[in-house]
Amino acid sequence: MSKKVLVVDDDPDVRSFVVTVLEENQYMPLTAQDGIEGFEMIEKERPDLVILDVLMPRGSGIRLYRQLKTNENLKKIPVIMFTGIALRSFLKSQKALDEFKGGEVPEPDIYLEKPVTPEELVAAIKKKLD
Amino acid sequence: MDMNIEIGEIMEIKKLLFVTKFEELCYDALNSLLALRNAALEHVIFLNVIERDKVAMKRGSGYLKEEEVKLKETANIRFIDWAENLFEMGMEVGAYIEVSSLIPEILKVVKKEAPDLIVIGRSHKGPLEQLYAGSDVSELMRRTEVPILVFKHMMEDNIVPEKLFKRPLFATNWSDTGKKTIEYIKGFKNVIGEIHIMHVVKESTLKSPNAHEVQKVRKVERKRLDDLCDELEDMGINARPHVYVGDPQKEIEKAAKGYQASMIILGSSEKAAILERWTGSISKNIADKSAFPCLLIPGKKNI
Repeated sequence: MSKKVLVVDDDPDVRSFVVTVLEENQYMPLTAQDGIEGFEMIEKERPDLVILDVLMPRGSGIRLYRQLKTNENLKKIPVIMFTGIALRSFLKSQKALDEFKGGEVPEPDIYLEKPVTPEELVAAIKKKLD
Repeated sequence: MDMNIEIGEIMEIKKLLFVTKFEELCYDALNSLLALRNAALEHVIFLNVIERDKVAMKRGSGYLKEEEVKLKETANIRFIDWAENLFEMGMEVGAYIEVSSLIPEILKVVKKEAPDLIVIGRSHKGPLEQLYAGSDVSELMRRTEVPILVFKHMMEDNIVPEKLFKRPLFATNWSDTGKKTIEYIKGFKNVIGEIHIMHVVKESTLKSPNAHEVQKVRKVERKRLDDLCDELEDMGINARPHVYVGDPQKEIEKAAKGYQASMIILGSSEKAAILERWTGSISKNIADKSAFPCLLIPGKKNI
């Protein structure tokens, strides 16, 4: 059975690019266009992997990542961050939230800064799923 | 979001919508708002609306898809840069870049995101266009109950106060919207340095022009202002009362200059919104003409 991969990104062109890459590599793509829809989808579908943008309306990837990694039932789902936001800023944001909200969340499994080639994306997905 | 604030209910700004075309509202304007983090601000939404005529179909060239992509990517790169700064502070950030018309798009995002404040630059339209078409700001005032902070066109004045909440001037006319505005101001209690509160007695309301009559009116209004200042000071907000007599628009502008206000805060009634196309309301005129940033609190309306 194909593994389910959820793509959370507000840009339809990016969703389309990732979905195509996933389908060509026999994965089952699911999509959500913001952090709120993404979390609902994760709870409902329990994907094997999440590919997550950061800067999105209605709930950023930073919030969704934190929601995932602090949820006992969901925190083991691997996440590939796929974004224009620099890793340095992402890590600083998590550090600021750790201090502000308490707790500590782990760094993402893989952090890809846009743009990437289909080959780079496939390699990252395979690394987590195969 | 329910913007029908009851009197006595403090309104906090947790989420703000920052509408920018980049040339009139940039990061320094946003930066001046970050003092609101000491109040309750935790979420900033960026909106850039690419007006349709910039990418519209033209004879011989068709829809300018490449231009749309270029404009969207340019805006995206700018937002990413701003968002990184805010994310690093531990804030939540979102962004919309849409090809649309400005006001309908703002209203759409307001519905989706329920912000507590809309921040917008002043329209570039000339006075004649504003009279017939309505400026962006007055159009927005008519159609939303969310407070609006209007920044001025940077090219004209080139001032963005570093500390927007350091010394605001609130002009009250004792209307219901004025009362709602006070509840809104209370939400800034950890941010405001000192607030100047003024009431302008219109010359036309003075029954007789003699000095005794003027002093009598002044005394009554001053007492009301003192009570209001006491109420705010009980909450930890430093407040100073002022009574002026004359044309409200001119006197508010005069007071703002005199006290070196960091912004002007005004309520705007629904009645004023209806009448303003014909007569020009005080809040509209100040928002359009003043050199100071203006925080406008719309009145209750049936949207």
